[in-house]
Amino acid sequence: MISVYYFGAISLILIGLYAVLVKKNVLKMLIGLSIMETGVNLLLVSIGYISGRSAPILSEGIGPNQAVDPIPQALVLTAIVIGVATTAMALSVAIILYGKYGTLNVEEIRRLRG
Amino acid sequence: MNGQYASLLIALPLLSAFFVPLIKGLGERGIKYYLAVITALQTGIAAWVFQQVYSTGKPIIVMAGGWKPPVGINLYIGHFAALFVLIVAVVSFFTAVFSIWSMKVQPIDKYAMLFLLLMLGATGMIATGDIFNLFVFMEITAISAYALTAYNKTGEAAEASLKYMILGGIGSSFFLIGVALIYGSLGTLNMAQIAQLAGNMNPTVAQVGLALIVFGLAVEAELFPLNAWAPDAYQAAPHAITVMFSAFVVKAGLYATARLLYLMQAVGSWHDVLKLLVAMATLTVVVAEFAALRQKDVKRMIAYSSISQVGMIAFALALGSQAGVDAGVFHMVNHAVVKALLFLGVGYVGIKLGGTAMENFQGLGKRMPLTAFALTIGSLAAVGIPLFNIFWSKVRILIAGVEAGYTWGVALILGASVVEAVYYLRFIHAMWFAGEGERMREGLAISLILLLLAALVIVIGIYPDYIWSLAQKAGSDIFNVGQYIKNVPLMEVGA
Amino acid sequence: MLKRLLAITTLIIIGYWLAQGLAGVPFGQDRMLVGKYYLEHVVEQTGAVNAVTAVVVNYRGFDTLGEVTVLFIASTGVGALLWSRKKRRTARTEGSIVLTTGTRLLAPFVMLFGVYIFIHGHLTPGGGFPGGATIATAFLLLYMAFVTYEIPHRAFEKIEGAVGMTYVIVGLIGLAIGGYFLYDWIWQTWGWGHDNIGRLFSGGFIPIIYTIIGIKVGTELSGIIDNMIKEEVSK
Repeated sequence: MISVYYFGAISLILIGLYAVLVKKNVLKMLIGLSIMETGVNLLLVSIGYISGRSAPILSEGIGPNQAVDPIPQALVLTAIVIGVATTAMALSVAIILYGKYGTLNVEEIRRLRG
Repeated sequence: MNGQYASLLIALPLLSAFFVPLIKGLGERGIKYYLAVITALQTGIAAWVFQQVYSTGKPIIVMAGGWKPPVGINLYIGHFAALFVLIVAVVSFFTAVFSIWSMKVQPIDKYAMLFLLLMLGATGMIATGDIFNLFVFMEITAISAYALTAYNKTGEAAEASLKYMILGGIGSSFFLIGVALIYGSLGTLNMAQIAQLAGNMNPTVAQVGLALIVFGLAVEAELFPLNAWAPDAYQAAPHAITVMFSAFVVKAGLYATARLLYLMQAVGSWHDVLKLLVAMATLTVVVAEFAALRQKDVKRMIAYSSISQVGMIAFALALGSQAGVDAGVFHMVNHAVVKALLFLGVGYVGIKLGGTAMENFQGLGKRMPLTAFALTIGSLAAVGIPLFNIFWSKVRILIAGVEAGYTWGVALILGASVVEAVYYLRFIHAMWFAGEGERMREGLAISLILLLLAALVIVIGIYPDYIWSLAQKAGSDIFNVGQYIKNVPLMEVGA
Repeated sequence: MLKRLLAITTLIIIGYWLAQGLAGVPFGQDRMLVGKYYLEHVVEQTGAVNAVTAVVVNYRGFDTLGEVTVLFIASTGVGALLWSRKKRRTARTEGSIVLTTGTRLLAPFVMLFGVYIFIHGHLTPGGGFPGGATIATAFLLLYMAFVTYEIPHRAFEKIEGAVGMTYVIVGLIGLAIGGYFLYDWIWQTWGWGHDNIGRLFSGGFIPIIYTIIGIKVGTELSGIIDNMIKEEVSK
């Protein structure tokens, strides 16, 4: 049986992928990519979760045996920043595209062919 | 000197990229020369590392932060990494020199930073020994490549960059899911430890994880069906950047694919993933060759040719035999030399004559004989004529393919090579036997680089033994995973 | 319509396949290997009580250096793509009285809070990236409230570069003192802060690195906002 967190993560990934594959507006495609990244991050965090344990900050009452795995959380931190960077780049490319073509519809932006 | 100083390979480009905003006052020319000096320094460090690794025969393990491998991140600079880090640095140096003369689009300071970081990303991807660190370096490479693809700020460039970004975004998400699955079942991210523990992995998890990683890397490695961005990006990017894409960015992706593939050798479902990759590679070759045939733009044609060669390398790497991997690495070296030559020559002509359409190349033999000569050598080599370097690696790949039992793949690749010969001969014909033109002056530095690369093509073609012996060492570095695990000083963690 | 059906079929196949893979990694079980080592040794080896921070900055510091680089690339790339010789803000609508007064009151405190987050990265959740993002939010508020407001972007670019260099130099000092790139020389060689665990002055070079990252992220994100919000003015 698959857990609800995994289910949520996979659903987010698939919803994002659907937007990327089907939508025609560049901005909607980029939103799709971000949703997909969120799904992947949720997946990473839930893989690191251990039932009944708390966040890996070792203060009073939380010893090494009461904390969840810190690595996936560190990875997610990195992955989020990378996602932000990609989004920023993509948006500035979208700004250029809009300036050159006057539209953000991918079906009308098609000069490179073949 | 201590092997830990090999971390300068990463530190130097970073430090000098961060330094660029502070020396903006030097002006355009100053920054371009600065770029050339830094890449020359990087070449020096890479040469030192290369000399260390090949003279001692032992890899250099850089431990970041002083933590032993599974706890900290390590760089693994073995025979393969040493060779390719050197190639990355040398090609970057050549393109930096080429940029001094060719880059006109503003803002140059930003160009210099992105250039250095692209070099850094490829170096890191080749050198790292940690699977998530590989992801980080892959993103450094990819994001600077997105920016550089769109750097010319034309509509086409932005469109190519957007395509690259969307495919790259999907690819990196897939890669990360693959990493999550592998981490989830093994609890480690260190490549050597993954290889050590891979045998105990649940075969379904391993298969899904590995296939996701292969798909994710296929964007960078330009494998069908995730390579739709490549010809557009090659065409739209500044000429200097195209050289880098073809010569080492794609190689870094291929290497990462091969490395992760062989690390997971012990997994039960390993051969299924190999078959998937062989199919993808063969399709890449066939589709790219036929697309190249109908191109009217020379840069785009060579881009397709480059993709097909990349497919061939991937085919060799996916054979799962020592001979295949060796041949693949040999082909990587040859491809880097030949495609650097071709793209530099084409870029030079493109700037001199204002475009890379086939018409501009008519009568090139009379207008720019040196460049035309170098381009001819490159084209003949790319076709695989004997006594040029690619001939040897192509033959070795085909033999390895037959030995591994993929006769159908070899037959398809041979058929595609005939197509390749057709369009390259058409190109040579256009340069020497069509059109007229006045003689033009050819720049000294660029002619020297072109002739040097052309000479290298011929020298390797006549004496392939030295490079072949390097390629064999580098190939066994990838193939021989037992040795890889032994080389990394893994620390005992956990019970 | 056909395209949509095709996409949905592909997605169902991918989803099924992912679920198959994830079924082999059951949720909530303890499968830590390296993670366990971190939890057991983090306090004595790095001086930080927040294990995530210690992993991010110290054990896997190389990733973080890469991460900072990625953000730097994004800010540089946005700057390169939206470059033009003369750029100016073109917005005309002034912010409402609520927005302007609120911004005037809040902006310094938002920045202060950002600084608080990154200085306490080794003790509490957060660290350089969220802290820097908070600082950038303050600049975003200023941009929204005042139509003529501009950050001094030339100075910000220089700070970005200089701070990035400091990070690499801290790493290189580690190489010179301890023999390893990004070696935590403050905690391991000099031994500062060993009796201070759980308080501000501990954690080796983590607070230093996080200050660097916080400033860098703050200036970079504000730079990105600045580049995107301004438009080219034709004479």
